[in-house]
Amino acid sequence: MKPSILVFLSFVVWASSAQSQVAVIANKAVPINEIKKTELLDFYTGDTKKWDNQIPVIVFDLKLKSAVKDTFYNFLGKSPSRMKSIWLKKMLSGEGEPPKALESEEDMLKKVAETSGAIGFVSKEKINGEVKTLLIIEEVDHERRP
Amino acid sequence: MTRQRLLVSMALISMCSPAFAQFSPGDIKIFGYFQTSLSHQSRLQSDPEQNSFSLQQLNLFFQKDLSQNWAAFVNFEFLNNFSSSRQWGSANLEEAWLKYRSRKEFNLKLGLQIPIFNNLNEIKNRTPLLPYIIRPLVYETSFSEFIPVEEFLPNRAYVQVYGFIPLATEAKFDYSVYLGNSPNIATPRPDSMGTVQTGVDTSDTFLFGGRMGVRYRELKCGVSASLDNVNFFQGIETFVGGAPSRFDEVRRFRLGADFSYNLGPVSFEGEFITVTYDDDLDEVSLDKSFYYATLGYHLNERLYFYGSYWFTGQDFTGIFKEANQVSLYKGDADIKVPTAGLAYSISDRITFKAQVARVLIDVIVPIPDRSQKDSGYYYTAAVSVFF
Repeated sequence: MKPSILVFLSFVVWASSAQSQVAVIANKAVPINEIKKTELLDFYTGDTKKWDNQIPVIVFDLKLKSAVKDTFYNFLGKSPSRMKSIWLKKMLSGEGEPPKALESEEDMLKKVAETSGAIGFVSKEKINGEVKTLLIIEEVDHERRP
Repeated sequence: MTRQRLLVSMALISMCSPAFAQFSPGDIKIFGYFQTSLSHQSRLQSDPEQNSFSLQQLNLFFQKDLSQNWAAFVNFEFLNNFSSSRQWGSANLEEAWLKYRSRKEFNLKLGLQIPIFNNLNEIKNRTPLLPYIIRPLVYETSFSEFIPVEEFLPNRAYVQVYGFIPLATEAKFDYSVYLGNSPNIATPRPDSMGTVQTGVDTSDTFLFGGRMGVRYRELKCGVSASLDNVNFFQGIETFVGGAPSRFDEVRRFRLGADFSYNLGPVSFEGEFITVTYDDDLDEVSLDKSFYYATLGYHLNERLYFYGSYWFTGQDFTGIFKEANQVSLYKGDADIKVPTAGLAYSISDRITFKAQVARVLIDVIVPIPDRSQKDSGYYYTAAVSVFF
């Protein structure tokens, strides 16, 4: 009986960790196949605005607070309010616009697939063949860590 | 022949289309913000106690991406309940520039712009970005009638190159270099018969300045400097002797240093500015200094508290008349402002702010019974709206 409870609990822990895994996705036309955290941060703070092939970087965000969004910004080391402050500064300085915030991960997949130069993030299990996966964020929410 | 032309045309179209397809110039974007406030000022110097509502600031931006690499930006600013019929406040064309961006290492801005100097200069009038209602004194453009804010900071440039160079992992080297006019040079000497066009630099000198700094994660620091010539020493030869032309243009040097750091919910930022004039006069000094330090805490995503301390020190030169004798004296005016406040964002576009500031003024002159000390309080509440 005891071993089966342990197996069940391990499965629950594994399942919740797996759910918070986030995939950084991009349009298939982007000229890279993987991305480092620092490069990703530069895209999301507007410091880098073009891919190496000169296509503009189009950054997407999720509108609503979610585990996926939290994991993504935790990985970048910025709180959502800090990111908002960075984007507002860029916008009011005439240096760029904040990422377009989408309603759902399904929207994110669709928009990234159909927008040249686009980059975004979704849960790992939602990845499909229409987009390129650049990075899997393995980090899980601290509260869920066993 | 016709078929060949057709093929060439089709080939050209097929070559050009993808390039154009990557960028479509959007509509002109119109946006802006305003901050309206209610303030209570206790009695201070000759001013009585007062309560006042104020539309402290309104800025209107127009922006258009002209192509993939070029963008235009215009910023109109209205201060202090601007009304031309009542002769209140002021309306300014603060910025009108064209930007070329080829890579992150190289951006070029042409046209009227606010140059990068320390942390705040470039964003000093972006009230939605700042938690303050009354900004650190030299950045408080609505106080420019009382404090010579333009002497502390370069306010206008016309050409600027800036960007950043990635260093080691996550570290970046920021730089900016700019050119502009020397200020106030257009005013002719009192004995001059010539007329000048207002707003035009009639000298052969420029404002030259820049900033270089380093960013590493949430740490940012840098040094800034600017060099220009001013003409407000004209006429001083009456008191100190020498040729009038010696004081037509006096070199001014500004030096700044900035530091900011965010650690979780805690933020810190500070700046230092010193302004010196190369006048070679022992009996005259208009040197200035300023610093501020702000420690803040994000209680949550919406609520931010801060405490801040500002210091402004200004040397000044006065004229002392006694019997038939006229002489110059050097004085010193210090303003110290400990202040605290909070900002609460009810949405991404609306922020309520409250601030209390203690103002301590200390004017020291080497004349008996002429030195002054005064102090007072400002209590302000405001709403900042980004639209």
